[in-house]
Amino acid sequence: MKEKLVDAEKAVELINDGDSITFSGVSMVRVPMSFIREIIKAGKKDLYLIDREPGIDFDILIAAKAVRKVRFAMVGFELFGLAPNFRKAAESKEIEWIEDTCGAITNALRAGASGMPFVVVKGILGTDLVEIHEKEGTWKVIKDPFSGEEILAVKAVNPDVAVIHVQKADRYGNASIEGSRFEDVYKAKGAKKLIITAEEIVDTDYFRKYPERNTIPYFYADAVIHMPKGAYPTACPNYYPPDYEEIRRYLAMCREGKVEEYIKEWIGGR
Amino acid sequence: MENMENVGTQKIHPAEIMIKAMAMEIASDDIFLHGLASPLPALAMHLAKQTHAPDVVYLNVADALDPDPNEYKLCPSSADPRHAVNTIAIVELLETFDLAMKGKQLGMFLGGAQIDSRANTNLTCIGSYESPKVKLPGGAATAFLTPLVKKLVLWTTNHSKRVFVEKVDFITGLGYEEGKDKEVTVITNLAVFKAGKEGLILKSVHPGVTVDEVIENMSFKPYVEGEVPTTPAPTEDELELIRKLDLDGIRFSEFKR
Repeated sequence: MKEKLVDAEKAVELINDGDSITFSGVSMVRVPMSFIREIIKAGKKDLYLIDREPGIDFDILIAAKAVRKVRFAMVGFELFGLAPNFRKAAESKEIEWIEDTCGAITNALRAGASGMPFVVVKGILGTDLVEIHEKEGTWKVIKDPFSGEEILAVKAVNPDVAVIHVQKADRYGNASIEGSRFEDVYKAKGAKKLIITAEEIVDTDYFRKYPERNTIPYFYADAVIHMPKGAYPTACPNYYPPDYEEIRRYLAMCREGKVEEYIKEWIGGR
Repeated sequence: MENMENVGTQKIHPAEIMIKAMAMEIASDDIFLHGLASPLPALAMHLAKQTHAPDVVYLNVADALDPDPNEYKLCPSSADPRHAVNTIAIVELLETFDLAMKGKQLGMFLGGAQIDSRANTNLTCIGSYESPKVKLPGGAATAFLTPLVKKLVLWTTNHSKRVFVEKVDFITGLGYEEGKDKEVTVITNLAVFKAGKEGLILKSVHPGVTVDEVIENMSFKPYVEGEVPTTPAPTEDELELIRKLDLDGIRFSEFKR
């Protein structure tokens, strides 16, 4: 096993301008916010963000002008409302966007992790999303070669980079996601480069003792970064819940036109 | 009239009427899933499981199977780790989606910014996709699950002409599909509908709501036949159960806009 433990400034160099990126978590849970802060600090540009149900991660990166395009099934803040910077950028065409649906994007990520070129997914046919994706070249209605029935082929998604926040990792990149995994294991295994951020760096003995807890084994990882509270203000199960007040404060500042101020303060703080 | 009196003495909120109506759609041999931004469905699933549907398989967007109702605390994000408290297993959403593709008895709760007379829904955009007037958050699992589930329960807390439109701007989700083993229910802050050949069929109006009020607030005419019954209000015990799961009153959030 090779040493993968690096600092954030070093790991962020793995990301090139224009890369496609996916992040761990959904909505307000286990999103790698501390690393996203590093992406903004490093001034990355033209990123193509891909995820199932993102929220503050997409919104703040869009506000920081780091984004060229987004692909998502839903992006928002649930009961707190629409994602203000995403909405503004999408409506003014500052960014490109393509809407997906959970069953397609998650299966596309799983196909990517399996090395499959595409996956067939049931449902979806008859909705207006089909035409959008056929135009994009991401989906195609095909005939099931066995039954002859129409079915949707969804092209695999292999992002350039996945950034996955986990509860525990060792210095070689063995990583343990505790609780909800969402699609994070597939994201990690399907991406061309994998960056792990972890609440705790544990001794490798931890994984020898509990190998079933090793959700992403070491050979997938390109970098491991120790980032306590690395998902904050989103939750990290078994460590901390979402800080709803902080997320509301972000939204309030966005609505007051003060998102730049928020980002500046966020980047400056520890 | 019994329900009306209930409302008078206990001040039952439309949220609680909706939760009860949602719970009534759940049967014990169903598998039910709720997604993000779904406080009412989350409570309805608990209510059903603790009353008439003890064996329902409860799955949520926090990847939890049968979270412990005694420890559960409803939170603003439906994926909050507290919604997976004492879960008996982590079931990845992808695995739940596999159940849908395998044709299992899966039910799902979904919203709609626009809903038409076939119960097709739009959660994608107001205006055109290319140049939207409003870019909505997106349909999440809607396009994938609406053609696959056996029970589709749509809800809106904003029963209005803006929501009930003749034609949705974008078909994010499919409602009624003739000949398919799929029951489609629409539950609003005023009434309960089933979708069928005739369009939306008015099944009941909530306590204190008139049929005229329901129709006046829609851009198309629902199908109304005979005397329309009143949606049953939750009993005192059921209300107690709902309140215990949601001490912070998150269930009212969708009504405050």
